[in-house]
Order: sequence, then C-alpha cells, then structure tokens
Amino acid sequence: MMKQRLASSSPMQFFPLQTSQIMLLVILATLPAMLVATWFFGYGVILNVLFATLVGVLCEATISRIRGRSVRATLADNSCLVTAVLFGMTIPPGTSWWLIVMGMVFAIALVKHAYGGLGQNTFNPAMAGYLFLLLAYPLDMTSWHLPAAAMNFNSASSPLGWQGFLQSLGCLFPFLPLLGDSLTVDGLAMATPLIESKLAAGNAIKAALEEGTGLFARSSETGWELINFAWLLGGLFLLVTRLISWHIPLSMIASTLIMSLLYYSPSAVAVLGTPYLHLFGSATMMGAFFIATDPVSAATGSRAKIAYGIIIGVSLYSIRVWGSYLDAVAIAVLFGNFCAPLLDRLLAPRKYGHPGLFSKLLGDITTGKSSP
Amino acid sequence: MIRQAFSDLFERLGSTSRRGIRPATLRESSLRSRIMPTPIPRELILSLQHYPDTSAKDVSSMKPCVEVGEWVAKYQLIAREKGPNATRLHAPTSGTVQAIEEIPPAVNGQRARLAIRLLTDTDERELPLEPPSDYRSLAPEQMIQLIEDAGICGMGGAGFPTATKVRDALEKGVKTLIINGVECEPYISCDEALIRERADLTVQGAELLQAACLADDCVIVIDNAMPAARQALKEKLQGSAIKLQVVRRRYPAGDERQLVKAVCRREVPNDGHPTDIGVLVQNIGTAVAVYEAIVHAKPCISRIVTLTGSALLTPKNFDAPIGTPVQHLLNLCGVNENQHEFTIRGGSMMGQYLMDQAAPIEKTTNCIIASNNAEIPEREAEQACIRCGYCEQACPAQLQPQRLLASIRNEEWQDTVELGLDDCIECGACAVVCPSRIPLVSYFRAGKEIHNEDHSAQRQSRHWQERFQFHQYRIKKNQEKARSAKVAAQSAGEEQGFSRDQARMEISAAVERVRRRREALARETGHGEEKS
Ligand code: SF4
Ligand code: SF4
Repeated sequence: MMKQRLASSSPMQFFPLQTSQIMLLVILATLPAMLVATWFFGYGVILNVLFATLVGVLCEATISRIRGRSVRATLADNSCLVTAVLFGMTIPPGTSWWLIVMGMVFAIALVKHAYGGLGQNTFNPAMAGYLFLLLAYPLDMTSWHLPAAAMNFNSASSPLGWQGFLQSLGCLFPFLPLLGDSLTVDGLAMATPLIESKLAAGNAIKAALEEGTGLFARSSETGWELINFAWLLGGLFLLVTRLISWHIPLSMIASTLIMSLLYYSPSAVAVLGTPYLHLFGSATMMGAFFIATDPVSAATGSRAKIAYGIIIGVSLYSIRVWGSYLDAVAIAVLFGNFCAPLLDRLLAPRKYGHPGLFSKLLGDITTGKSSP
Repeated sequence: MIRQAFSDLFERLGSTSRRGIRPATLRESSLRSRIMPTPIPRELILSLQHYPDTSAKDVSSMKPCVEVGEWVAKYQLIAREKGPNATRLHAPTSGTVQAIEEIPPAVNGQRARLAIRLLTDTDERELPLEPPSDYRSLAPEQMIQLIEDAGICGMGGAGFPTATKVRDALEKGVKTLIINGVECEPYISCDEALIRERADLTVQGAELLQAACLADDCVIVIDNAMPAARQALKEKLQGSAIKLQVVRRRYPAGDERQLVKAVCRREVPNDGHPTDIGVLVQNIGTAVAVYEAIVHAKPCISRIVTLTGSALLTPKNFDAPIGTPVQHLLNLCGVNENQHEFTIRGGSMMGQYLMDQAAPIEKTTNCIIASNNAEIPEREAEQACIRCGYCEQACPAQLQPQRLLASIRNEEWQDTVELGLDDCIECGACAVVCPSRIPLVSYFRAGKEIHNEDHSAQRQSRHWQERFQFHQYRIKKNQEKARSAKVAAQSAGEEQGFSRDQARMEISAAVERVRRRREALARETGHGEEKS
C-alpha cells in the first residue's frame, strides 16, 4: 500500500467525477428526450437504443480484443454507451435490426477504433455512423414504421400498450412472427429527427405552423417541438452541472438563430422556415447540446469552442436551406469536426507572461521586434 | 456510484473559477487550537542540503562550522552557505553535535544529503543576541545583512534565500512589495494561524521588508476563506500605509506569478522575475522571520508547521524548531495508528509522500498530513484523454495541457516548447480536474527533464517516479505496436501495477545515463561541473 503510494506523486486529491461517470450522466441527460420520443413514436425508440447499445458493446469488446487491449478497461469508460444512445435516437423507430448493426459497427469499428480508440477519433462516431447509413440506405433511413396508434392521435389505443410494444418489436426484428393480421404497422416516408423538412417540405412546415402548439397531440409533425424542449432540458442539466461549457451550445444556437433571422421573410416561410422552427422544429437542440459538444471530436479551448459552434450553426442553416443533402445537423457537425484541430491551434489561449497577438503586432510596429 | 456522482455534482457547481480550481478547504481542524510551542526533542536533525527538491548535485549546500562532539549554544552558527543560493544554519537549541553524516532521503527522488545530528540538552543556554540599538534608522543594506545573517529563506516552499531576493529587488528598484498570505492548498493553515496570532509582527515585518527594498507600496494579500485573520490584520493595519487585499480563494492563487497578476493586474514576463516589472513577493512567514532578525537579531531557528490529517487526534500548528523529527510532532498530536496509512510532506496538491518519519522539519516544510485511504483515496485507473478541455480551463499558466500531453507522448519536443512546457508551473491543477485521471503534471515534469537532458546534459535525474510513469507509458506504447496478444489478458488493475524492482532498474539506468553524458561532456569541454 505504502509502496504503491510512494510511486505516485502530487496532486493527491481529485475532482470527484471520472470520465466513466460523466458518460453515464450524459446518458441520464438524454432520458427526457427519450421518454418524450417514446410517447410520440412508441417503444421503437427505446428498442433502437437498447439494441444499438448491445451491438455497440459487443463490437467494442471484439475490437479491443483484436487490438490486444484489455476489454474490461476499454468498456469501463462507458463511451460506447453514449455513442449507442445517441445513434439509437437518430435512427427512425421501426427500423430493421441489420441497419442498426451496420451503423454501429461502422461507428465503433471504423470511426472510433480505426483512428486509435477513444480520444483519437476525429469524427463523432454516432454522427458518422448515421451519415453512413443515410448515404447507403436513404430509403430505409427515411421510412418510419410506427405502431398504428402512433400515427393517429385520435385512435383509442395507445402506442404504449402491449400491442404497440409487439408491433415495435416486430418492426425491429421482422423475422419474429409478431406482425400478424391483428398487429399492423403503418409505414410512411418522413423526416427523421435529423432530416428536416426537405422531404416533406412545404406541407410539413405548414402543418407545423397551423397545428402549432398542440404539444401533446400525437402528431408526427409537431412532436419535434416537444422533443426539442426535452433535449434542451437535458442540455441545461449538462450545463448546470458543468459537464459541458456554455460555449458550443450558445454559439451554435445563436448563430443558427441569427442566420434564420437574417433571412427570414414571411413570404418564403415554406422554403426558409421561421426562426422558431429552425430552433425547435428539428434536431437543433440535440445537435447543440449532445452532438456538437462531444468532447473528443470538438474543439477544446473556450475561444476555439465559440468558433466551432459558429461554424456548425452557420453551416447547419446553410445546408438546411440551400444544400442538397438530406441532413443538416450531422453534416454540419462533421464539418465542425474537420475544423476542430485547426481551431485549437489557431485560437490557443495566450500563455501567461507571453505577449498576446495584439501587443506582438504593436511591438513589431513600434520597436521592430516583438515586445518581451 | 450514481448517488456519489450526484452528491459530487453539487460540489462541482461553481467549483472552477476562470482559471485554477477551488478545492474544499480543510484547514478548520488544525486551526481549532492555537499555535503550540514544541517541547525540544532529544535529537535535532539539521539538514545541510538547503534545497527542498532534488535538483542539487552536491550532498550539501552548506559547510558545517562545528565539529563532531562539540557543544553548541542556542543561536550559534553551525553551518555556512557554500554558494549564493543557500542560507546559513543556526543551532535551534543548545546541545552536543553527535554526528555529521548522510541521512536517508525524506521523499521520493531526493538524493543523499548531509545533516548535523544535534543531541539536545535541557539547559537551552543561548548566545547573547546583539540587536541593533535603533532598527528604525538602519540603512537598507544593513537590514539585508541582518536578514542574511539570520539565515532566512522563503518560507512558502521554494526556499530561495530572502537576502538575495531583497538585494536583487533593491538594486533593480521595485514599486510594490507583496506579502503573500494566500493559502491555496486545502490543508495548510500555518500562514493563517500566524496572521491570526501574530498579526502585529506580520505588519511590522512587512514594514521592515518595505524599508529594506525601498518599495513604494506594500500590500498584504490574503484569501477570502480566512475571516479571523482578516479581522486581526485590519486592526493592526490601522494607521499604517500598508494595504490589505483579499483575493478569492482558488488554487493556485498563492503562486507568485498568479499573485502578481491579481494584485498588479500585470503578468510577469515568461522569461523574467517579478522584480523585472517592479514587484517583490515575500511570504507571511518570511516577514515574521525578518522582523525577528532585524529587531532582535534573532536567527531563523524555528517555523510554523501545520500537522493535520484524519489520522491525528488533535491536528494543530506547531512552532517547531528546525530539525525536529516529524515523528516527534506526530506523537505530540497523538496518532491513531489504525488510521495512519501514509504521511505527506507539503500539501495535498504539491506535496510528496514522506518516506521516513524520522525526517526533519526544514525551513521550507509547511505541512505534514497523516492520512489514510479513506480520506485521500488513491488515483483511480487512468483512462484515455477525451479532450474535454477541463484541464485547459483550469490551467493558471493558460496552457493547453491536453495538447502538451499529446506532444510529450509523441516526443515532439519542438511542439512542447511552443505549447509552453517551460511555462508550466507544475501546480497540478490540470491533473486534479482531469476526469480520465491522467497524471498530467507527472508527464510535464518528466517532459521537462528529458527535454533538458537531451539539450544540456547538465541536469540531474530527478523525480524518477515520473520518469518511471513515462517509461511505463513508452513500454505500453511499444507493446501495442508489437500487438502483443498477451496484454489482452491483463486486467486494468494489473496495468496500474507498480514494481519497485522495475522502478529501481529504471532509476539506475537513468542515473547511469546521466553520469555517462556528464563524463562525455566533461571530456569534451574540460569542465563538467558547470552550474545549470
Ligand atoms: S482534463 Fe484530462 S481528459 Fe480532459 S482534455 Fe485534459 S487531459 Fe484530456
Ligand atoms: S501543472 Fe502546468 S499545465 Fe497543469 S495546470 Fe499547472 S501550470 Fe497548467
């Protein structure tokens, strides 16, 4: 005991939270959104998350074995759980199992471990996995299979009943003999959390505007509003507990807002949307608090984080409105990931006792050399 | 675990200020009783190595001027400084010199050093002191001479000779004298106790220091977690030109450079000293010692030491003679043996584990913590850096520790210099907040050392435990490169394992390497013993 101690050195006290616990708290913060989404779409959401988690853990274990690392130590950081939860929530409920397997394996094996494991990956694994699926299987990624009850909020039965559960399970594992005549599911092409109005375009926006704050009505068009507030709630929890700093969410949301205000025109709402829709009508809150703030792939310094948030916010709006991609948040975040290392370098804090950029320039002008 | 995490969350709220961190204060227990005079122990061990750390090559920085078997009186000069960066030593009490010999290292990485063992007698016969007839009319140079004669060094921890520092300030001319009463380490309360009980001496010491360096202003700085000390100082400062400033408690607010920034709103240039921008910083304890030296011509023979930790029955501050064995003070506090698992010298942020309870209190020893695993748990297993940036937010030197870490691990020395490795003050704030429990400071110390060794081959091998950690990391890296299948079976716990034999091999290899380089250098240049 004493010998062990002697080998270590100061400091001897630490702040309480460890990486593994931080990851669990992040998952805790996703709960509100998960519950609200389940309320709207049935158990498919939770099944997605659970199945993605299972696949993620298995995949992570296998790969750390192959890489000759301790499986227990790799799993202990809980980071693959966060990836799985976020990934599971971006996939449309009612997706077949193989899609989730492909996405998670891509995320864990290629995006994370091929780059060197946790802390080394340039891109956010959940987003990269999602984007991979979107590019490879655009049709499946925009098809929603929901329990009949979730489609029609006047229906007497709730998607949260036993029937709804069987239906959702049947969608995830089509080979199970669950979907019979009595258990039908409705399928429709719809925006995923991250694929905004582009597909349903004008209609969806109009419907959203007209139905407005029928917040608790099980309508797939207005559901996003409440889900976004739930993400915001979880995000505020992360902020208050200082698990994340305010820089990225604030600068990202603010720049999205400013862009949408700048281009707002009442006559072109169907194309450009409204500022409110840009913030709460799609996946902006999830992106701002849970995806862009993924520490590994984000910028680290305060100044760099602000710039990072602005880059994501501006590209988010641009891709949404002018881009031809189906998705905005995922691509905007990956674009931000590209810039993060550079931002960290360019916007590094001024070291104590070193001249800042300004006085360096000033020194150049006045003395011909940099001031001390 | 979740519950634990939750309760900790609330502790975390507001726990990081803009830079630096705010660990909980743990001073209360040791401040419950007043500063206690220490009964003279049977034996005093007076180390002749002045430096608290291990950078010195020689076994001693002082030359003894007594013989073995000689009887010495209290206040008698017993050792003189060898060079300009050391101070002299006086007998804290009367007694017989029993031996002048090497003593075992007190902390990891310390090298062998010489010490005078003084067998005390109970008479406490003292040399008559010759205080100046009117200390108020002394010239600065005379005051500095008195400080030098008293053998005073910085009592905050670094132990730089005060006379040298003040003389330098006098020559360069300073505007502001800062008396540092900020205690940012969680456990240490010696400065606060000193202010509470000897506020008048503190103020007079500050005035004398100001007169000695001819500074325009003098500011005493304390932190906002010591209301009693603040009250005491306020009373004594009435009618005085000295100002009192209270800064927010945070770690490391008491660091010299941080303090200068807080008081003067200016930063010390990275390659300079506070005196370069007209500031001199002195510790509170030093100010009191200066008062004694100038007014009473009394040499520095004792200091205030905090004894604390949950293994002690009555934690308190001692006015301990230099050379008192730690064990003696522990006994005076009463040790709960069941709970005493290890001892720390210094604070929990920058201190080191004490290897030998018989090690003496030195002029720079400010705190002893007798503790156990329940109070100070061991660092948990290291995980990968997730680039969360907490360390960057905590770093008082405004560095990017996570990038520094990466560049050291990759051994890109050019990058480490640009990222400011030399600006790191080794405060450890980054390692405290790191959720992945990466021993960042250890990497930085090791990095500095390897880098310097690579460049100058003049530095001694120090902090081998950090070298060892780095060595382990290298081994791990190489193993991974080789894709050793066996490692897979190793559990996380085993990876953290530590073998003393392995460590020893590493140290001796390092020492040997340095020795060889030194020899090579000596052959080339004809003088290898150059000072670094
Ligand atoms: S605090 Fe630790 S995990 Fe976070 S960026 Fe710094 S070194 Fe990496
Ligand atoms: S140890 Fe160095 S890098 Fe870490 S916080 Fe302190 S000054 Fe910054």
